[in-house]
Amino acid sequence: MTAALIGFGIVLVLVLLRMPIVFAMGFVGTLGFAYERGGSMFDERGLRASLSMVGRQITDTAQDYGLSVIPLFILMGLFVNKGGMARELYAVSNAFLGHMRGGLAMATVMACGGFSAICGSSLATAATMSKVAMPEMRRFNYSDGLATASIAAGGTLGILIPPSVILVIYGILTETSIGKLFMAGIIPGLMGIVFYLGAVRYTVWRQPDAGPAGVRTAWPERLVALKSVWAVLLLFFLVIGGLYGIFDFAPLNLTFSPTEAAGMGAMGAFIIALARGGLNFKGMFEVLAETAVTSASLFAVLIGAQIFSNFVNVAGMPEALISLVTAYDVSPMMVMLMILLVYVVLGCVFESMSMLLLTVPIFFPLVTSLGFDPIWFGIVVVVVVEISLITPPVGLNVFILKGVVGDVSTGTIFKGVTPFWIADILRLVLIVLLPAIVLFLPNQMGGLGH
Amino acid sequence: MPTLKKVYRVLVAVPVWLACAALFLLMLLTFSDVILRSSFDAPIEAATELTRILVAVMVFAVMPHISVKGGHIAVDLTDGFFETLGLTRLRDGLILILSGGMLFWPVAQVWTLAERTRGYGDVTEYLGMPQYLTMWFIASGVTLAAIAMLISGLLTLIAPNFLKELQV
Repeated sequence: MTAALIGFGIVLVLVLLRMPIVFAMGFVGTLGFAYERGGSMFDERGLRASLSMVGRQITDTAQDYGLSVIPLFILMGLFVNKGGMARELYAVSNAFLGHMRGGLAMATVMACGGFSAICGSSLATAATMSKVAMPEMRRFNYSDGLATASIAAGGTLGILIPPSVILVIYGILTETSIGKLFMAGIIPGLMGIVFYLGAVRYTVWRQPDAGPAGVRTAWPERLVALKSVWAVLLLFFLVIGGLYGIFDFAPLNLTFSPTEAAGMGAMGAFIIALARGGLNFKGMFEVLAETAVTSASLFAVLIGAQIFSNFVNVAGMPEALISLVTAYDVSPMMVMLMILLVYVVLGCVFESMSMLLLTVPIFFPLVTSLGFDPIWFGIVVVVVVEISLITPPVGLNVFILKGVVGDVSTGTIFKGVTPFWIADILRLVLIVLLPAIVLFLPNQMGGLGH
Repeated sequence: MPTLKKVYRVLVAVPVWLACAALFLLMLLTFSDVILRSSFDAPIEAATELTRILVAVMVFAVMPHISVKGGHIAVDLTDGFFETLGLTRLRDGLILILSGGMLFWPVAQVWTLAERTRGYGDVTEYLGMPQYLTMWFIASGVTLAAIAMLISGLLTLIAPNFLKELQV
């Protein structure tokens, strides 16, 4: 356990020196594994065992069929973006909610939720929605705090409402069913939308000037706006329905594995973007290149995390943590609360993917040995990561927004985000105390979704 | 310099094009497999092995590119601190050299595995394609990433303007 703790400390130092996570984890994991196997970091036998593990990890991860889900879901999100669907989702939400006080901010949250259903990244959701929603809220004199906060917080929904890249990474790291993780994210994701709507209402109740009412849209126009998003709704229904197995009847007989769902989603998004004229050859190349680059960096960190995870395991860290908990007779829920506290603290300084990769190899074996459900823990971790995205001083979504909007201080955004942050904490408490919220949908799935 | 720039651009562009082509094929393959399986009960039997090859090609074609273009996931928490001290260039150069250098052993190991696969004559299940070709591609990707990082790190330290001009 001591070796693993020292290794973890060195990884932290290297990461803070801005060494890419893949190299920090890979380097420490390799030498640590050699130390555990050979009794010294430079023992030839140990080094040979370690390098053999590293070599296999690189070649196996690169050719892992299950990992093809990552580029395909990223591709789907980027094609959807090219098709201009973010704007249409916002227009629909605006048509239904814009006339209420704080309505444009509520429309932003709803549109973020809709966009999350086809895009697996929080940062992409926040960046896209800020371009669409911010000018409109400015036009109606919304306070900068409420306008930016609704986008920053709404954007966090991207990693919980399926498809979600971070849930895929968690699933691969822990060998948990990705299909079930996606299903488990739906109810907490919807809760997130409802709670954020509550946070907007609370803000305008306290400061009525923060979100003046907009113009009421007539029903015929609402229906026209609704018609424009049918393609997005269909795509989401196809992907999630296929994963859930609802098309598994003759003559369709469609049941998707996560990779197949991602492939169908990407192709569907490609066709929609093409049909709407939002995609020329240059645009298509940009989307493909961005997807390839993003996916390759995710594959790389996965390789690094798995090498580090192997070291942590041979160093006996999970067993040591379990005996520590047993020796002090701490209740499982108390351990969980301590882990969550660690996440909230780490979330103040680390961005989401780094935090997940650094902590899951250490906490996951402990959590499952205490009898917690691995699917439930995955959702809890992602909700905490969502909170970290809007927690000062490093809330990444806030900085994305600051980058796009420019003339609003980060202090203003963080202040505006406070009610949303509290809503998130409330949701976390509910999910921790009532695991059925998370587990209800995946438990209905049976063996599907692997 | 203009010739060198052109060579550099081609060196960067070709692998990215290759990765894009692999990704597009991957999307078409997955889609076609699902449709053929569900509608005509005729799945593409080689879909799994082709998927594995296409993923490896996509990832390792762009690996050198992302390794020198800051594409790897990193934590930028201390950037301001290094900037204040005027040490950003030194840090970036050293990190690139260290990261590239530490790939030496994994690179050797991946080549060994590739050669072992060739020696055993392993082929893929349906198409009978030699597996060492994919292994060679992976090994080449990691090797080029390591070399690119070492060169880029050295240039960052000793000729930053040259590097910037090259990358424009």
